[in-house]
Amino acid sequence: MRGNNRALKIATLRGVLDMLPLSLAVLPWGILFGSLAVQRGFSWLEAQLFSGIIFGGAVQIVTVELIADNSSLFTVLFTAFIISSRHFLYGLSLRERLSPQPLRWRLGLGFLLTDELFALSGHRRAYIGKLRLYYGLAAGGSFYLAWNFWTFIGIVAGASLPDLTDLGLDFAIAATFIALVVPGIKSLATLAAVVTAATASVFFTLWHFELGLICSALLAMIVGFTVNKLRGSPEDSL
Amino acid sequence: MTLLTILLLACITFGTRYLFLEGRLPVRLGPNLRLMLSYSGPSVLAAILTPILLVRNDQLFLSISNPYLWGAGAAITAAYKTGNIYWTIGVGMLVFIATGQLI
Repeated sequence: MRGNNRALKIATLRGVLDMLPLSLAVLPWGILFGSLAVQRGFSWLEAQLFSGIIFGGAVQIVTVELIADNSSLFTVLFTAFIISSRHFLYGLSLRERLSPQPLRWRLGLGFLLTDELFALSGHRRAYIGKLRLYYGLAAGGSFYLAWNFWTFIGIVAGASLPDLTDLGLDFAIAATFIALVVPGIKSLATLAAVVTAATASVFFTLWHFELGLICSALLAMIVGFTVNKLRGSPEDSL
Repeated sequence: MTLLTILLLACITFGTRYLFLEGRLPVRLGPNLRLMLSYSGPSVLAAILTPILLVRNDQLFLSISNPYLWGAGAAITAAYKTGNIYWTIGVGMLVFIATGQLI
């Protein structure tokens, strides 16, 4: 029993630590959101609720602007839906491993399933077994706390702080994702998928295409799939 | 009214995240779809990270004076050699900051 508790503690700590670079790297955007919401006339409570229950960086920043500009409710919700559509892909990818889990785990991890938590869910056995569930909960939960804390700082100190989004902390996000992607490239198919996603996402970003992220990812998955089928080879041979 | 909007937005982010985690949803993943989904992780991450490196102020920034490229080059090398997340971020950040100062 004691050893079991110890293992759970270690899994929890590892989840928090693995997420730490991302939790810190989103500081400028958390602060940006908090101060933006207050400046656009939202109450402190409303601003904190955005991070507390919506919990989605891009969705929050875009919808705060839309609501403040008196856009129609339909426009606000539809835009949020478009930005959130990538979550369908995350849910589908984790479906086999998470759907057999008890409801409380599905609700909890589902609520926490941001880009960042999905980034840490790539392990072949992710969410299989109690330890890996705790790992995910700790990673997602610590990111949730960090995001809400940065929001709070933005709400309180907002206007008096300089814009921190130019500091280059976005490079930390890129570096973390590089650390998660590169060691996993063990086949020509995966390499082809990564190159496709990288290229397509840059074009879509330059074109301001709102569905760019999900379309790049889908295109890349099709390319990876096709290369795998054409080579007819096992997964791990580059 | 604002509270209601926030609540509806929360339903959208949570709903899109939770939908496919629900086992009772009648969706079966065939072997082809499963193979395709096995590429979703690296694909999504590459699609998020590359524009951070290459797009600055709505323009393609493919130049040796772009510190993001130097940092990314170092991070990719470190990730390939060590496979360790902290080494990758550490080396990448160091080169990113150093080249940012020099350029």
